[in-house]
Amino acid sequence: MKQFFGSSQRGSLQEATQGLRDPQLIMLMSNPRQFEQHVQELERLFPQVPSIGCIGMSYSTQVIESGVGVVAYSGVTAAANVLEQVSVMPVKYIQRLQQDVKKVSASGQNTICIDFCSGNDACALTTIYTVLKPLRMSLVGGTGDGGRVSANGRIYEDAVVYALVKNNQGRVKAYKENIYHQMGSYRFIASRTDRARYVIGALNGQPARDVYQKILNVSEQEILTQTFKNPFGKVNGNDTCIISIKEVNGNALACYRQVNDSDVLNLLELGDYRAIVKDTLSAIQADFPKISAVFSVNCLFRYKLFTQNNYMRDYLKEMGALNGHAGLVGYGEHFNNQFVNQSMSCVVFE
Amino acid sequence: MLFQRKKAKQAASQEKDLYPILHVANSLKEYQKELVQKEVDSLLELGMVGKTFDGVLGEAVVFQTKLEDFGEQFSSINQVSDAFSTVKTQISESVLQAQSKVGELQGVSRQVESHFNEMGLTFSELQEDFNKIKNCMSKITSIADQTNILAINASIEAARAGEQGKGFSVVAIEVKKLADQIKALISEVDSDVQAVEERTGLLSEKIQTSQQALAQSVSDVQTTSEKFDQIIEAAEGASAVQNEISKVVDNSKSALNTVYSFFDKIRDQYQEVVKHINRASALGTTKSAMFEDVDNMISQIPPMLKE
Repeated sequence: MKQFFGSSQRGSLQEATQGLRDPQLIMLMSNPRQFEQHVQELERLFPQVPSIGCIGMSYSTQVIESGVGVVAYSGVTAAANVLEQVSVMPVKYIQRLQQDVKKVSASGQNTICIDFCSGNDACALTTIYTVLKPLRMSLVGGTGDGGRVSANGRIYEDAVVYALVKNNQGRVKAYKENIYHQMGSYRFIASRTDRARYVIGALNGQPARDVYQKILNVSEQEILTQTFKNPFGKVNGNDTCIISIKEVNGNALACYRQVNDSDVLNLLELGDYRAIVKDTLSAIQADFPKISAVFSVNCLFRYKLFTQNNYMRDYLKEMGALNGHAGLVGYGEHFNNQFVNQSMSCVVFE
Repeated sequence: MLFQRKKAKQAASQEKDLYPILHVANSLKEYQKELVQKEVDSLLELGMVGKTFDGVLGEAVVFQTKLEDFGEQFSSINQVSDAFSTVKTQISESVLQAQSKVGELQGVSRQVESHFNEMGLTFSELQEDFNKIKNCMSKITSIADQTNILAINASIEAARAGEQGKGFSVVAIEVKKLADQIKALISEVDSDVQAVEERTGLLSEKIQTSQQALAQSVSDVQTTSEKFDQIIEAAEGASAVQNEISKVVDNSKSALNTVYSFFDKIRDQYQEVVKHINRASALGTTKSAMFEDVDNMISQIPPMLKE
């Protein structure tokens, strides 16, 4: 299989798709201003080719902040579709996914589900994963900006679009990278949560804002920047899902991800991200001696952190060493049925 | 109009038919909420168990440290006891060295005593010789007295003989003079011999005093030697006490090791419990993720039914 990445800093889709021939799947990463135009143009340029799209920055060797980026695959069998009404009942459209799985003869070994979601990600992922889990199929994706996504030339609000990509020449495997680790032995049980507004009311029965401030000795104003260094981690067995703080809401903390009553949370701190990235690369290279392509979704917060620390360019260079690396800067990352923040998830094609 | 009424009636009928499913979904949601609350309580309890157990582990560690301190104290006792043994050995060695010197002193004293005895013997012989000399002197004095008498007799006879006896008288006078000189000499020698005898007597007394002092000294050396033996015996006795101390310390250490091994076992079991608590806790966290999934799925039913 082959991965194509084309981009245009000035937002020209023609320019971004220059050299793209006979793709079996296209993924569009556009800007809020040109999204609609790009979706239509892409459909016109490549009719009948399955496609999904969202608003967001893309990258390969450099980040396309406000233009357009296109990732396309050949040598694959693919299907793209949408689950609508994602805020209330994405399951209503689940048969589409089931039919697409049959259509591409998907298996966990060789097929990945890539999704772009407009919101209510946790519910969307739970719903999608009810189909993927029995097949041991992985999912990698992210949240797009502006509450709009596209599938097969049509724009949807309140939807999750997905693409099933079957590698006709080898395996696929999904990875998640967490550059944070637990800080001390802080462990909390969340309560008084508001799932719809992603709010944590209390941690171990104490107001969440006070707990965070007291431990880190930060002012209320500093909480939003402190999350770069100290996000929360939702413990799920041996795994940790990162949760970023969005804003202070009275005595509560609003996050970028749903938190539920009974969720066990840790306080995290930033680790040696350069070393962790190297470890991820080593793990991938150990699993795949021959890599055809890598598609990743990096959190916007990670992009900001790496840029602030003059690491983004080096990061892309290091990831580029894997051969054909491209991706999306997301507002939330998806890994199987997990909706996480401040993480990187990626799929590697053999 | 009729069609619309029919459609509304159909919708109402459908809603009525689907109401039980909605009811089930709502009930499931309530149960799920309750389950979540129970899970929160369970996790909090588990957290408390973990925290309390951490306390128990901490206390066990502190206790074990105390036991280790105790063990170290035993080692210190043994070290002190060993040091005592070293001191005892040093005492024994010193005493043995001193005893060896005392032995040498005893030998020398015996030699001196023997010399003194020989000197005493010599003095006795000397005394006898003096007596012999005194006898001889007495005999010489007696002879000189007889000679003097003879000389006087000769002088008288010479006087009777007149002129012819003059020469004889001179000889008799001379003989008398010689006898007097001999007596004077003997008197001198006598006084000298007496002086020598007196001094020899004094020397003999001194020698006797020295012999007595030497005998006392030899006796003291013997007593010292016996004292040294007693010191060694006492040191050996202390060594036996030290061995007893070591034995008691070893027994205590062995008992302490048993306690240690007991603690090691307890610790292993504690770790096992901690492992289970952590496992239960981890399972609890996976449950919370499943609750989210369940909620995500159930929450879709009511809007679908309403639609």
